[in-house]
Amino acid sequence: MGSRAIGRAFWTAVVAVVCALFLLPLAWAISTSLRATGAPLPRQMEWWPSPVVWRNYQTVFEIIDAARFALNSVIVVSVAVPVTVIFASLAGFAMSQLPLRYRGRLVAFSALCLMVPLTAIWIPRFLLFKEAGLMNRRGALMVPALMGTSPFFVLLFLWAFLTVPKEVYDAARLDGAGAYRIWAGIGLPQARGAIGTVAVLAFVHYWNSFVEPLLLMRTADKFTASLGLRMLYSLESTNWPIIMAGALLTVIPVVAVFVLAQHAFLRELRSVAPSDRQ
Amino acid sequence: MSLARWWRRNSQHVALGSMLAPYLIGLAVLVIGPGLAGFALALTDYNAIQPPAWAGLENFRRLPGDQIFRIAVANSLLYIVLAVPLRLLGALALARLLQRPARRSLIGRAVVYLPTVMPDLAWALIWLWILNPIYGPLNQLLAVAGIDGPSWMVDPTSARLGIVLMMVWQIGEGLLVCLAALGSVDPDLPAQAAVDGGGAWSSFRDVIVPIIAPALLILLFRDTILSFQTNFVPALIVGKGGGPDYATMYLPMYIYTTAFEYLRFGYAASMTVAMYAITGTILLIQYKLTHRWHEGFGRNG
Repeated sequence: MGSRAIGRAFWTAVVAVVCALFLLPLAWAISTSLRATGAPLPRQMEWWPSPVVWRNYQTVFEIIDAARFALNSVIVVSVAVPVTVIFASLAGFAMSQLPLRYRGRLVAFSALCLMVPLTAIWIPRFLLFKEAGLMNRRGALMVPALMGTSPFFVLLFLWAFLTVPKEVYDAARLDGAGAYRIWAGIGLPQARGAIGTVAVLAFVHYWNSFVEPLLLMRTADKFTASLGLRMLYSLESTNWPIIMAGALLTVIPVVAVFVLAQHAFLRELRSVAPSDRQ
Repeated sequence: MSLARWWRRNSQHVALGSMLAPYLIGLAVLVIGPGLAGFALALTDYNAIQPPAWAGLENFRRLPGDQIFRIAVANSLLYIVLAVPLRLLGALALARLLQRPARRSLIGRAVVYLPTVMPDLAWALIWLWILNPIYGPLNQLLAVAGIDGPSWMVDPTSARLGIVLMMVWQIGEGLLVCLAALGSVDPDLPAQAAVDGGGAWSSFRDVIVPIIAPALLILLFRDTILSFQTNFVPALIVGKGGGPDYATMYLPMYIYTTAFEYLRFGYAASMTVAMYAITGTILLIQYKLTHRWHEGFGRNG
C-alpha cells in the first residue's frame, strides 16, 4: 500500500516535470515580452522582469499595422472554417454511405494525399494560383476550404458518421429523404464532436498558416497576422521584448481557442484512449 | 418520362456524387495535379516571366554537381536520422506516462499538445530567442547549472541540434496516435506477461510494442515524409535561410530559395523530384528494417 502511494507521488512528480518542460518556451517568451525595451538585456537568468512593461504589446500596434493584419486573418478564418466544416462533412458523409469497397479505396486515397508534404507541391500550386489570377487575393488563402482543407478532416467526419447504425440511414431513405436531408437532419446532429474538433483544427490551421500567405500575398494591406509578425521581425530584428510581444499576440487566439475547446478536446483525447475506462 | 424514372432511380447516387465532388476535384487540382506537374516542370527552364523552355534531363544532370544541393540532401538525411526517432520515442514515452486514467494525465496531455498548436513563425521566433548564445534563456539556464552552453545558431554543429531540439517539443500528433494505439491494447495482456515472470519493461517490449507496431510504423513514415515540410520555417527563421554555413540548408529551404528567390522554377522542381526519390528510398529502408525488427520480436516472444 505504501509503495503504491510512493509510486503515485513519483508519477505525479514526473508529470509535473514534463508539464514544466513543455511550458518553458512559452514562459520564457512571456517574461521576455514584458522587459523594458531600452535597457540592456540581462546577462544572467532572470525569470521575471522588473519593472514589468505591459506597454510593449501596445508598441507592436504602433510599429506595424497589426490591427489590419489581425483583421485579414479574422476574415480568412471566419470564411474558411465554416466552409471547411461544411465541405469536409459532406465528403465524409458521402463516403460513409458508399459500399465498403469504394469507401476503402477512398480512405486509402485520402491517406495517400495526407502523406504529401506542402513543400513537394508548392511550386506548381504557386504557378497555378498565379495563372488563375489569385495572387495577392485573400480568397487564394481560403480556396483549400472548398475541399474540406485536409483529407484528415474528411476522415474524422467519416468515422463520426459511421458510428450511426446503418439502419437509421436506411429508414430515413425509405421515408423518402434525400442524401442532403439525411446529412443535415441525421448525420450532422450525431457528429457534433467531429464538428467541434474539425472547427478547432481548421481554425488553428488557417490562423497559423505562414508559408501560403508568404508565397501568395504581396502587398501589406493583404498581410495576415503571421506575415505581420514577419514584418515586425524584419523591422525590429534585435528588439527581443517587442518581437516576443508580437509573437505572443499571434499565439493568443490559438491558445484561447485551444483552452476554450479544452473540455471537448480533452474528451476527444479521452475517447482515443479507451484505457481510461479501467 | 424515362428521364424522370432515371432520376428516381439514381438521384441518391447523384446527390452522393455531388457531395464528394468538391473534395475529389480539390484533391486533384490542389494536391495530385501539382504533384504530377512537378515532374513535367522539372524537364523545363522556367522563370515564371517567359514561357517555359524545354530542357530535357539537363536539370537532373546538373543536380549531382551542385554542391549546395548535396549539402541540402545530407542535412535533410541527418535531420531525419536525429529528429524522427527522437520525436517517435518521445511521443511513445509521453503516451505511456500520460496513459493513466487520472485528471492529471488529461492536463498533462493538453500541456504537451500546446506547443503543437503554436503558429510556426511564432514558435520559430521564440526559439531564435531561446537559442541566443549570450542573452538567450537556455544558455543562461545552463550557466546556472555551471554548464557553458554552445553558441547555438552561430556554430554549425549546435545549429543542427538546435533545430532538432525545437522540433522535439511539437509532438502532439504523435502523442495522440500513441495514446490511441496504447488504448487499443487489452489491459489484461501485460498483466498476464507480468505473472509469467517478466518485468514491466519486458512486458512492454514483448507484449505491447508488437501490438502497437502498425501505429508506430505509420507514425514513423508520416513523420519522415512531413519532416520535409516541418523544418522549412525553422530553417528560414532560426537558421536565417539555411545558415550558419549551410548547416540548416535542408532540401525545402534550398528548393524555396531556388524557386522563389532565384526564379529557377524548373531546376527547383527537379529537386522536388529528387526529394520524392529520396523519401521513397528512406521509407523502403525503414520498412525493411522494421520488418526484420518486428519478425525478430515474434520469434523471441
